[in-house]
Amino acid sequence: MNNRFPTLLGLLVLPLALFSSCKKDSDTLDSTGSVNFTVRNVAGAQDLALNTTAATTAAGEKFTVSTFEYYLSNIKFTKADGTTYAAPDTYFLVNQEKPASLSFTVPGVPAGDYTGVSFLVGVDAQKTGLTDPVTFTGDLNQANNMYWTWNSGHIFLKLEGTITSTTPSKPLTCHIGGYTDPNNAIVTAAPAFNGAKLTVQAGHTPQLALKADVTKVFDGPNPVALSTFTGAHMPSAQSVQLARNYAAGMFSVEKITTE
Amino acid sequence: MPLHLTRFLTGFSLLLGALSLSSCRDSGGIDPEPTGPTPYTLTVPAGFPTPVIPADNPLTNEGVALGRMLFYEKQLSSTGTMSCGSCHQQDKAFTDGLAKAVGVDGVANPRGTMSLANVLWSSTLTWDGAFSTLETQALKPLENPIELHQPLTVSVSKLQNTTTYPPLFLAAFGTRTITNDLVLKALTQFERTMISGNSRFDKYLANNRQGFTADERAGLVLYTTHISPGSVRGAECFHCHTQPLMSSNYEGKFFNNGLDLTFSDPGRGGITKLAVDNGKFIAPTLRNITLTAPYMHDGRFKTLEEVLDHYSDHVQMASPGLDNMLLTGINSLPFGTHMDLTATEKRQVIAFLKTLTDSTFVTDKRFSNPF
Repeated sequence: MNNRFPTLLGLLVLPLALFSSCKKDSDTLDSTGSVNFTVRNVAGAQDLALNTTAATTAAGEKFTVSTFEYYLSNIKFTKADGTTYAAPDTYFLVNQEKPASLSFTVPGVPAGDYTGVSFLVGVDAQKTGLTDPVTFTGDLNQANNMYWTWNSGHIFLKLEGTITSTTPSKPLTCHIGGYTDPNNAIVTAAPAFNGAKLTVQAGHTPQLALKADVTKVFDGPNPVALSTFTGAHMPSAQSVQLARNYAAGMFSVEKITTE
Repeated sequence: MPLHLTRFLTGFSLLLGALSLSSCRDSGGIDPEPTGPTPYTLTVPAGFPTPVIPADNPLTNEGVALGRMLFYEKQLSSTGTMSCGSCHQQDKAFTDGLAKAVGVDGVANPRGTMSLANVLWSSTLTWDGAFSTLETQALKPLENPIELHQPLTVSVSKLQNTTTYPPLFLAAFGTRTITNDLVLKALTQFERTMISGNSRFDKYLANNRQGFTADERAGLVLYTTHISPGSVRGAECFHCHTQPLMSSNYEGKFFNNGLDLTFSDPGRGGITKLAVDNGKFIAPTLRNITLTAPYMHDGRFKTLEEVLDHYSDHVQMASPGLDNMLLTGINSLPFGTHMDLTATEKRQVIAFLKTLTDSTFVTDKRFSNPF
């Protein structure tokens, strides 16, 4: 009896130990939720359909889009008191051709009421410029065809199509990138919540629906005339102008859905 | 303590233990079933994307070994004269040297055999992207009348009636009963192991960009450079033949590269039925390109020199839907009308392309004919 008791105790304790070792980390982090982002690419008032939608700039020039891709990264949520939560290692490639890429989820967001969001349209200099490209995985991998070799980093935004308001029509190519001055095209967008709140509760996944208007690549603080536009395909002053345009006005918040 | 209580506690503990073990499964805990096929370890070259293996067809040593036999098994053809390996020949990086593939009945296909190198990274299969999974694609050449021309059910009963195959299916899939599904799973497991990432170009990258001749390096620069007329000369190759796979297979994009003004083969348009996709094809891998002649979907170019001449001088600039990069990729504006590479530049690009040959891939015994 006396020497059996420790055995019995052991038999009782062993499965308890196994149970606790099985507990997932997420079960213990009970103060965070996730935020699901959706992106709807549009051209003005129309949903963007590749190759068909006639997009119109503020100046009345028209173009169609065959490729529209961009990185959203370094997502940051802001509370009313000004405190922020910066989600670590968030790099998402949005590609109009791939419906699955139009929705992505940021996990581990501390519970709370958020009144704003901001993100880079592109990839930060540390990641794109100072990281060995062979280590890029997932959306950042070179095989996604959003990367320049020769120390130029990722293509932050790729817009290809045809300018149709000229005669004859002409190819439209914008490959925007560059992470060093004076041609640093890393820009931040902060679409306003307009008084709405994003409420994150532990274990829940509220949805933040964004809209991205492709015409704002050309309309904005630095309007670009498509009739004389010759394209952007490397870090340059013109790429920076276009980046400032899409940072200022391309993204807006359509809807915030709290579970 | 009474004996029955001891028994109860012991039983209770074992039950709890069993529950604990099962709850551990999804977090990589102890596997209570040590039998069954052994997982196959894929070695992914540096910089390549993380491969996506279908959850219902994980790679196993037994499955891959079986797939290798099936790949070279001539009983899968109606005549017993051809296998997958007849057109996908290892010494040619799994192509056949023909402009258009020829099946068991001697009839030519409309397009050429594609290399299988790195096919596990293809989000879309064949020249026109007709298939999105390797499992669905693999059925086509088996049954197609101008390829192996045998219903898979017939192949399955032939295999079932051998003494060789049922034990191999038992080892790979836990059953002696061969099915269409299991044949396709084994074949595609083998295909997914065909990784080519050990060319001189890969070694150059791994060795801090050392080991190229001046021409090879100049060719790489041209390959990866977008033209800026008047300041930067380039050859634009990378837009479609994207690193590190040197193809558009991962991204799954299709391009009109200006071969024709009108299209006898609609290519991607034949799948999507969209006019805008007519004349577009996948940009196939340039890895092992010296071994995969002739070139283009219809094998119209016999040499890399002819290919470079096409992109430099003969692109049909009025071809509907011609890719933007070729439309605007003109080195010698204002008077140039094409890319206009010099003879030296063409030679340099070809010198670089020759560094993409992976001699270990085409001699690797793991991929060779086991019979």
